[in-house]
Amino acid sequence: MDATTDGSVFWDQAGNATLTFQHCDECGFVRWPAAGVCPECLGRGFTWKPVEPRGTVWSWVVYHRAYDKSLRERIPYNVALVELTCGVRLLTRLTGFGSADPVGAAVEATFEDIAGTGLVPVFAPAAGGTAS
Amino acid sequence: MTSQPRGAIRGRSAIVAAGNTEQGTVPGISADEIAVEALRLTLRENGIQKSEVDGLITCKSYGGFGIDTEIGRLAGLNPGYSATLDYGTCNFSLHLACAVIDAGLASTVAIVYGTNQRSSGNRFSHPLGRQDEASVYGFLNVAGPAGMAFRRHQHRYGTTERDLGHIAVSQRRYARDNPLAIFREPLSLDDYLAQPYLVEPLRRADLCMISDGGACLIVTSADRAADLSDKPVHVQGIAQQTGLRDRQNADQWMRPWIERVAERIYPAAGIERADIDALYIQDPTSVWVLQMLELYGFVQPGGVGEAFRNGEVGFGGKLPLNTNGGQLSEAYMWGFLHLCEAVRQLRGEAGERQLDGLRTAQYCSTFGFMKAASTILSTDRS
Ligand SMILES: [Zn+2]
Repeated sequence: MDATTDGSVFWDQAGNATLTFQHCDECGFVRWPAAGVCPECLGRGFTWKPVEPRGTVWSWVVYHRAYDKSLRERIPYNVALVELTCGVRLLTRLTGFGSADPVGAAVEATFEDIAGTGLVPVFAPAAGGTAS
Repeated sequence: MTSQPRGAIRGRSAIVAAGNTEQGTVPGISADEIAVEALRLTLRENGIQKSEVDGLITCKSYGGFGIDTEIGRLAGLNPGYSATLDYGTCNFSLHLACAVIDAGLASTVAIVYGTNQRSSGNRFSHPLGRQDEASVYGFLNVAGPAGMAFRRHQHRYGTTERDLGHIAVSQRRYARDNPLAIFREPLSLDDYLAQPYLVEPLRRADLCMISDGGACLIVTSADRAADLSDKPVHVQGIAQQTGLRDRQNADQWMRPWIERVAERIYPAAGIERADIDALYIQDPTSVWVLQMLELYGFVQPGGVGEAFRNGEVGFGGKLPLNTNGGQLSEAYMWGFLHLCEAVRQLRGEAGERQLDGLRTAQYCSTFGFMKAASTILSTDRS
């Protein structure tokens, strides 16, 4: 992997139940996926810092087909895009929604090992959260 | 100061030939050989000599094929200009050809594309997001983002799966009259709704299948067009817009930036949207058709089901849409066959599918979440 697109800090910190992203040293823009350049100001300096583990569900789908052999035992599984309060749009999995429609719902991160690779962020309805 | 709208290239270039190989499974021949075969058939069927071609624009295809330097060698061409685009849909290739002709870099450009991705085993499952996210969460295939975009649309407008189903059903009905189409068996709305989900809320019929095949267009200056064809199809206007910031853009998978193309294309062509006689929308998924119908203003946001039910668009409706069957039913030619079909319809060569009184057609396409383009074609030079 190209060093400038190395997102391993994000995955390592998920193991510590923390959501961590690159913050631009120049303008503060929070970016993900990882990159060596800030897309706002083009600055190269950055610091990995934790963010508030909260956001809103943009949308979600349920895979009933395994598009890779490694996914055969996982189907059906859901994938969602969550818009975090820090501005990052994060691919993730939802948990704890039952039959409720998650689109627009307030969510918070929790951490589970869903792929046998260690803890990763998944999102559950926020305590006291309301749908927007 | 300029009063000329962007992309106002009316009367300057024309498509003089469009052709294709068989579609489906074409084993035992490389992707580049399929592209050259498309060129051979197109030149032969349209009575154009290879020596007329002095420009070559190719498009990368699965497996690292489709490079201009390789296809030029195979085709025995030393064109005055050649280039390879990293993406298909043919709109971007056509716009580049028009610019190349306008600049005088070449006078007659062959646009070719060939793929053997079905025979060579592309499962269409390369990760769309970053590697880590795609593998950890299992986010593969365009059905993922397209399904999310449709769910979001449902949330915003109350659109139903039945509403979406009209798109695949209408395109299948056209494909039944298209001998080239791979999927020709009847598909009713009930058949559609009875299909299991692949990526819920999307079904098999909402997603195009991988296939092999080749296609080719020959483009030349409007002045030369009459020498090469009795029925040139004129490029009336072109427009593009990108959304390259990807997920940093709000609502990226709904691709709202396509609206910029819609704002530019009609002034570029000097016509109104209501003047479009036939519409072609590139369709790796039915969701992209839904989005572009709305973003170009052909249907009201959330009104797609009603527009089909009321006969405003689609098979038997006022505005014919993807009369070849599209990628969903005809073949996965990355949009190239939409332009081939538009050219055939405008030339009156569409067989059983031929529309009456056709003068103007529009083709809208996108490269995933990155780029959008549109072209307006006409039987008239100006
Ligand atoms: Zn910055």
